Amino acid sequence: MSFIPGQPVTAVVARVEIKKLRQDANLILGFSIGGGIDQDPGQNPFSEDKTDKGIYVTRISPGGPAEAAGLKIGDKIMQVNGWDMTMVTHDQARKKLTKKREDVVRLLVTRKSLEQTVKQSMCSYPRP
Amino acid sequence: MERDLLPGEKFGCHSSDINLMIQVISYLFFDSGSDSPTTHTKDVTTHTRAMKLKHQELQERLELCILELKKLCIREAELTGKLSEDYPLRPGERLPQIRRRIGAAFKLDELNIPRKSEGSELNLVDAELALQMKIYEAARKLCEEVHLSKAVKKSRLMQCKREEKKLKQLQEMAFQLRLEHGRSSPLPAFNITQPDLGTSDDCSSLSDSVVQDEEVTSQSSVLPCSVRADPPQPPPMSPHSSADGSHMSRPVAPQSPLLNHCQSPCSSLDSSLSLNPSSVCDSPPIQHSPWTESSLDQPYQKTKKSRSSSKTSSPSKSEVLPPLEACLSALPQQLSHLKLSRTQSSSTPSTPEMRVHRQLSLRLSSPESYIHKERGRNRGPRRRLTEYGIMSPETPSLPLNGANIVSSEDSNSESSFSSYNSSPCQELPSDLPKQYQSAFPVSSPVGSYGPQAFPPASYHRSPRYVLSPGVQRPCYTEEMIYPTDMDMARRHFPQQAPCTPNRYEYWYKDAAVTHQRAHRPLPPDIRFTPQAQQLDHPLLCSSGLPRQVVNEHLKSWHRRSQLKAPRSRSLDRQGAIRLKNTPPREPPGYQNQNYHNQVSVQK
Repeated sequence: MSFIPGQPVTAVVARVEIKKLRQDANLILGFSIGGGIDQDPGQNPFSEDKTDKGIYVTRISPGGPAEAAGLKIGDKIMQVNGWDMTMVTHDQARKKLTKKREDVVRLLVTRKSLEQTVKQSMCSYPRP
Repeated sequence: MERDLLPGEKFGCHSSDINLMIQVISYLFFDSGSDSPTTHTKDVTTHTRAMKLKHQELQERLELCILELKKLCIREAELTGKLSEDYPLRPGERLPQIRRRIGAAFKLDELNIPRKSEGSELNLVDAELALQMKIYEAARKLCEEVHLSKAVKKSRLMQCKREEKKLKQLQEMAFQLRLEHGRSSPLPAFNITQPDLGTSDDCSSLSDSVVQDEEVTSQSSVLPCSVRADPPQPPPMSPHSSADGSHMSRPVAPQSPLLNHCQSPCSSLDSSLSLNPSSVCDSPPIQHSPWTESSLDQPYQKTKKSRSSSKTSSPSKSEVLPPLEACLSALPQQLSHLKLSRTQSSSTPSTPEMRVHRQLSLRLSSPESYIHKERGRNRGPRRRLTEYGIMSPETPSLPLNGANIVSSEDSNSESSFSSYNSSPCQELPSDLPKQYQSAFPVSSPVGSYGPQAFPPASYHRSPRYVLSPGVQRPCYTEEMIYPTDMDMARRHFPQQAPCTPNRYEYWYKDAAVTHQRAHRPLPPDIRFTPQAQQLDHPLLCSSGLPRQVVNEHLKSWHRRSQLKAPRSRSLDRQGAIRLKNTPPREPPGYQNQNYHNQVSVQK
């Protein structure tokens, strides 16, 4: 996701709805996140822009709710249930995602392939 | 996109198939051809017999070949799902039931297919991972099949588990590779830092655990640090301190590269300076910690504890101190230990105790660092203090450790700070509060340090300790004759700011009072006394300690300390300087006096 300072950031996002799996007392989401504004973004293997401090999906456990919902490794999480995830610490993100009361998390994620598809479609069907 | 699971196998099957057919055909030809020559032979009977024998033999062979062909065809069919047309059918024979093997072919996600541009290793692992993912999925589905006999079910479960394990390993590998990949391009920090950590292991500075977190960021910021100096800082300070830093470093470890020395003061200074303006408010800015991931499948708290794995090199990093109570109970032992070490250390008066500190902290440490770093400021700081306090007087020889320390300092502002503080002699009386943290080895476990406590690694740039290096350095340059009042005000302020429980605050005040009382009039020579005071204070304050015991220890310690030259707590260059500058000269009587004063104050 690139941006020009001063310009609004646009991102193609996909809606992903993950139904948490209840296992005993645990709610299973089936994926891991990395990143956050408190972490060194330069080490993020998933981001294109190495200054991006967003929350990224680092792994998906197979057969888990996240996989079922279509979440992919490397996805950048933009929102969780409406909460912004682009400027949060790692822990804040985790808190928002693992709330015990909520059985469903709705994510807005962006990923490279999404943007590419959109770009392509925009190219092939130029706007009137 | 269809990808064959066992392309080699399939191919092999085909080719052998063909070979076989050719063989069979040739046999047939040979057979039919051989018929005619037999009629022309003279010895018909013998020849026919021989031919018959041969014929039989060939037929048997053909039979075998056909069987083999059948097997191969079936196998191929199992893989491809289609029975090959070469399948030898005898009249009346029915086509065999072909059951296609499950999982023979997987459709791979396009996303998972590695891109060519990436590193080849990562590529490979990615591909394998994608495949394994599918295999695991298939295995899982097999497990879920109903109407299975127990044995089959069991074996499938086993299979599934095996696949899952393999998958996890692959995932881990891929993740690691990715991390490396990601790191290597933008910032090679980790590779570089690792050796640093290793070296710093030996004589680590006070803040082992902090080091890691900071390392990456601080390293990158080493150079620009001088530029960042803040205007609010009194102008003489920064130049002085930086000059001092390099100057001081020399005596300690002449062998170590000068570069390191210079860098370390710079970085610490930088952090201190930048934070100065905001010193009053406690909340530290958000710091970059190493990029980590955390699984969302565990409850929030638990996850935290389990995380911390990313930092590996120094043992204490990931570990944290146990509850205060535990420390308290352990304190007497540590005291005794302290005694022992003290005596040992007497041979080498310069004595930074970094190493001991390290060991002790290790001993106390427990695996909760994650909490520290991530949130518990209150808790974290206290613990931190404990760590500091624990560091004890075993004294590694200066030259040995010097280089190491420096390196560790580079990366970490906190560590440098502590080293500064740690040398009792250098510090002015006004530094008392600080000295408590770093210099006072014994009492620390009690948690009396609370207020000063160092914030968790990510926060450690917070103003309190940051201040110290800058402030102290000037003292050094001026041969420690420094107006105490100014310093006091400044220092006490930030340190108290952390707003830990009341219990902690009072001793701060006390410290300040006593310190003023005792030290102000003091000539610079007597600097050692503050250390003694420090010792007393935390101990007394600690609610859990049996005072008698502590007092006894303290007294003996004092006596000893008076006898010998003052030792530096840190391996730092300052320590070395201190050695030169301050011979052991505190009058025993004086110290005792101080000690008593403090006691009364405390009570």
